[in-house]
Amino acid sequence: MKDSRSHAVYNARILIPAMPTRRLSPSRFAGCLLFLAMASLAAPAQSAGPLAGEAAQQLAAKIAAITGRMGISLEVSNRSSLSSPQVEEVRRTLQNALAAAGVRVSSEPVSARVGVTLSEDLQSYVWIGEIQRGDDAPTVVMVTQARPPDSRGKSDAIALTIRKTSLWSQSTRILDVAFWGSARMLVLDPANVTVYQFQERENRWQVEQTLPIAHARPWPRDLRGRLLLRNDQDHVFDAYLPGVLCRSSQNMPLSMSCAESDDPWPLYTDPYYLNAFFSTARNFFTGAVSPPILKNSAVPFFSAAPVPRDDTVHWLIAGLDGQVHLLDGRRDTLIARTGWGSDMVSVHSNCGSGWQVLASSNGGPTGDFIRAYEVPDREPAPVSLPVVFSGEITALWTSREYNTAVAVSHDVEKETYEAFRLTLACGQ
Amino acid sequence: MRPFGLRWLAASSLLLVTVAGAATRPRYGGVLHVAVRVATLDPLEAGQPSGPAASNLLLLVYDTLVTLDDRGVPQPGLALSWQADASKQRWQFVLRRGVAFREGAPFTADLAAASLRAANPNWKVTSNGSAVVLQLDSPEPHLPAQLALARNAIVKRESGKILGTGPFVVTQWQAGKNLTLTARDDYWGGRPFVDSIEVELGKSFREQRMALDLKKSQLIELAPEQTRQVSDDHPVEASAPVELVALLFRRDPQSPVEAQLRHALALSIDRNTINRVLLQEAGEPSGSLLPNWMTGYDFLFPADADVARARQLRSEVLQPISWTLGYDANDPLTRILAERITLNARDAGLSMQLSNAPAVDLRVVRVPLESLDAHTALARVSAALGLSVKTSGDSPEDLYRAESAVLQSWRVVPLLHLRVAYGLGASVRNWNDKPDGSWDIPDLWLGADKP
Repeated sequence: MKDSRSHAVYNARILIPAMPTRRLSPSRFAGCLLFLAMASLAAPAQSAGPLAGEAAQQLAAKIAAITGRMGISLEVSNRSSLSSPQVEEVRRTLQNALAAAGVRVSSEPVSARVGVTLSEDLQSYVWIGEIQRGDDAPTVVMVTQARPPDSRGKSDAIALTIRKTSLWSQSTRILDVAFWGSARMLVLDPANVTVYQFQERENRWQVEQTLPIAHARPWPRDLRGRLLLRNDQDHVFDAYLPGVLCRSSQNMPLSMSCAESDDPWPLYTDPYYLNAFFSTARNFFTGAVSPPILKNSAVPFFSAAPVPRDDTVHWLIAGLDGQVHLLDGRRDTLIARTGWGSDMVSVHSNCGSGWQVLASSNGGPTGDFIRAYEVPDREPAPVSLPVVFSGEITALWTSREYNTAVAVSHDVEKETYEAFRLTLACGQ
Repeated sequence: MRPFGLRWLAASSLLLVTVAGAATRPRYGGVLHVAVRVATLDPLEAGQPSGPAASNLLLLVYDTLVTLDDRGVPQPGLALSWQADASKQRWQFVLRRGVAFREGAPFTADLAAASLRAANPNWKVTSNGSAVVLQLDSPEPHLPAQLALARNAIVKRESGKILGTGPFVVTQWQAGKNLTLTARDDYWGGRPFVDSIEVELGKSFREQRMALDLKKSQLIELAPEQTRQVSDDHPVEASAPVELVALLFRRDPQSPVEAQLRHALALSIDRNTINRVLLQEAGEPSGSLLPNWMTGYDFLFPADADVARARQLRSEVLQPISWTLGYDANDPLTRILAERITLNARDAGLSMQLSNAPAVDLRVVRVPLESLDAHTALARVSAALGLSVKTSGDSPEDLYRAESAVLQSWRVVPLLHLRVAYGLGASVRNWNDKPDGSWDIPDLWLGADKP
C-alpha cells in the first residue's frame, strides 16, 4: 500500500524514510538500478537512467576541467560489484557526457590518456579517473554515489526468478485464495468463501458453491482475511477474519459455520509456528503472538516472516511504526532502508539457503512490486529481480507448505482485484 | 479474550517449551570461555598495542555514545541522536535515558562529558541537560565515528575502579592472568544470552590452540599464518583484511636521494610471495595504509614488486647506504617478514641488516585499523605510526590526497593487510562479527557441542 490517499488505512502502513541529500540517495539509486535492470531486460540499448548519468556527468566535468577540450583515450575497468552490462552502460554514458563537455574520445594519438576505474568502498560506488598527460604523474579525480546497502558482492546473487501466475480476478476484494486438491479453488472475499471447480472441457473455473460469511459487526476498513486449508477429518478449511472464525465441514457439499472469535491467526505452521492475534477492529496484528518471538511482546505489525538460521529462527515483522524489525528472541533490531512495504512472507525453495522472504515494495515511481530476499545477517539481500504488479498489493500470504505464496493486487483503473500465485525458480 | 483463546494460548505455550527444548530458539545461560594474549580494563589503552581482541573485550564492559554498523555508518549507542552545526565544529549528542553504571549510579551527561574530556584533553566537552556538547577547534565531520572508538567508551572512574554501562560487569580481574565478566540483567540493550565470560590472559597462539582443542576455550585468537591449519572441528571466523603491516622508518628522509632509496626498497618487496608463501594468504598485499574494501582506491598505490626499477633507482645513487631493520622479538610474524624483506632488498642492491635492538633505521610494524570509518581509521593508523595526516575535506578524494601525502613522505611503506581470525568452539552459536573483526558477544549463545 503506497499511502493513505489511495487507500483507507487506520495507520500509515510504511513510511518512506527520509534519505540523505548530500550524496545520491540509496532509494533513488535503488530505483535507478531497478530501472536499469528492467530496461536491460526490455531493451538493452536504452539509457542507464538519470542517476548514472548524474555521476557520469560529474566525473566527465572533473576530467574535462583537467584535459580541456581535446582528444583523449578512454579506458573503463571494473573493480566493483557492477555487472558487465551495467559497466558497459556506464562507459557509454560517460563517453556521452565527455562529448557533451567538449572532450573528444578517440583511439587515435591523443593528448591525454584517461583510465576510469569503477570501484567501491563500504558504503558507496567510487568512480576514479586517472588522467595521464605526457610523462607527468597522473592526476586523480573521484566521484561517489551511494550504493544500495545490499548490492556489494551481490551482483551474482540475483539468481532466482519469481514466477507470477494469475489465479483469479474479480471486482470484489479478494482476501485470500487456497487450493483444495488440483481441481478446486477457494476464494475468500468479505462476503463469501466461494468454491470453484476446474472444468477441463471448458478450461475454466466454475462456481461450485458459495458459502456466506456470517458476522454481526461491520468489517473494518482495509479488511484482511486468511484462508487456511486444513483438510483433516473434521473440516476442509478455516477462514480467519477480524473477530470472526469460519470453519467448513469435511464433505461435499460443504457447509460453513462462522462465530465471533479472537483466536490467533496461524501465520505459519510446522516447522516455524507462529500464531498471531489480529485486532478485531483494525487491519493489523496486535503484537501478541504464540510462541513468543521476543522476550517482551512484539510491536503491532502487519506481516511477519521467519528467517531460519543454523539452530534457531529469527523473525522479520513489518511494524505499524513503518519499520521492518528483526527479532532474534531477545532483541528488536530495526532494519534500515529496506524499501519494503507492509506485506512479507517466507517461502521455502530449493534455491540459495532454501528460505527466501518475499516482500512488497513501499511504493515508488515504478509502482508496487514484490521481490525475493535472503537475510544472511541483518541486511536483507535481494536474490531476484522485482516482479511488478499493476496495482497496490492488498494481500500476501504463504501457502501451508511454504512453497508458494498468494499475492493480491488492486488495479484501481480496472476496478478489479487479481490474485496471483508466486513461486520461486532457481538460477533463471 | 474468550476462554477458548486462553486455553489455546496456554496449550501453545506448552508447545513453546517443547520447541525450545529442541534448540530452535536461542538459549540463555552458560559460560563462554575465552583465551587471548592481552586485555586491559582501561579504554585509554585500547588499540595499539593491545589489538582488536582487547578492544572487543573492552566493549563488553563499556558502551560508546555511538556505534558503527557493518558499513561504518554511525548508529545510536548511549547517544540516541546527534547534530552538528554547519561548520561541523559544534556537536550535540542527546543521551539515552534510563541507563545505569554497574553499581547503580545513573548515566548522566556530566559523567559522559567528564569521560570524554579525560580521553581527549584537547576537546571542549560540556553537558547540557540530557545532552553532551563538543566544541572543537577544527571541523570534525567524522566525530560520531571517533566516538565509536573503544578509547572513547564512557567510563566512570571511582576509587581506582573504572565502571561502565556495558552488557557485562567485571567480577574478577587479575591483570595478565584472568578476567571474569558477568552478564547484566539490567543492561539497556537487553541481557546477553550467556551468563558470564571467563577470559584467560597471556596465552600464546599455541596455548590458545591447545585450549580450543581440549575444549577449555570456546573463543580464541588465531595467528594469521595458522588460520588454515585449524582443525575442521573448529569453525574459523576471519575478518576482512584489517591489520596493516608496514615498514616504518625512524625519521623522515634527510635528502631526495634517501627518499629515492626508500622508493627502491618499496619496489623491491615481493608482497605477493610473502602473502602466498609465508602467510598462507592470510592477508592481501597492499601499497596503501587503508585496505581497498574500505576506500575503493587501494589500486592507485602499486603493490607489485618491480625489481628492475628498484635496481635502476638504486644504481642512480652513488653513496653507500646500509639500513638496520628491526622487528618485535615477541612476534614471530614480524621476524619472518623482516627476514624476507632483507632478502628482497639485497636483490635490488640495497644493504640491510636485521636487528632487534631498540634503535634501528626502520622496523616491521603491525597496526590494527580501529574504525570502519575510513577517515577515522586513517587518522588513527597515522597517529599509531607517529605520522601526521591532514584531510582537507570529507570526500574520498580528500581521503586519497591525505593518504597520498603520508605515503609520499616515505616514512612508511605499506606491505599488506592481515585478516583477524578467531577459532570457535563447536557450542558457539550466532557468532556475528563485523568486517573489522569486532564481536557481537551479547547476541552469541551456547548450544550443545555438535557431534
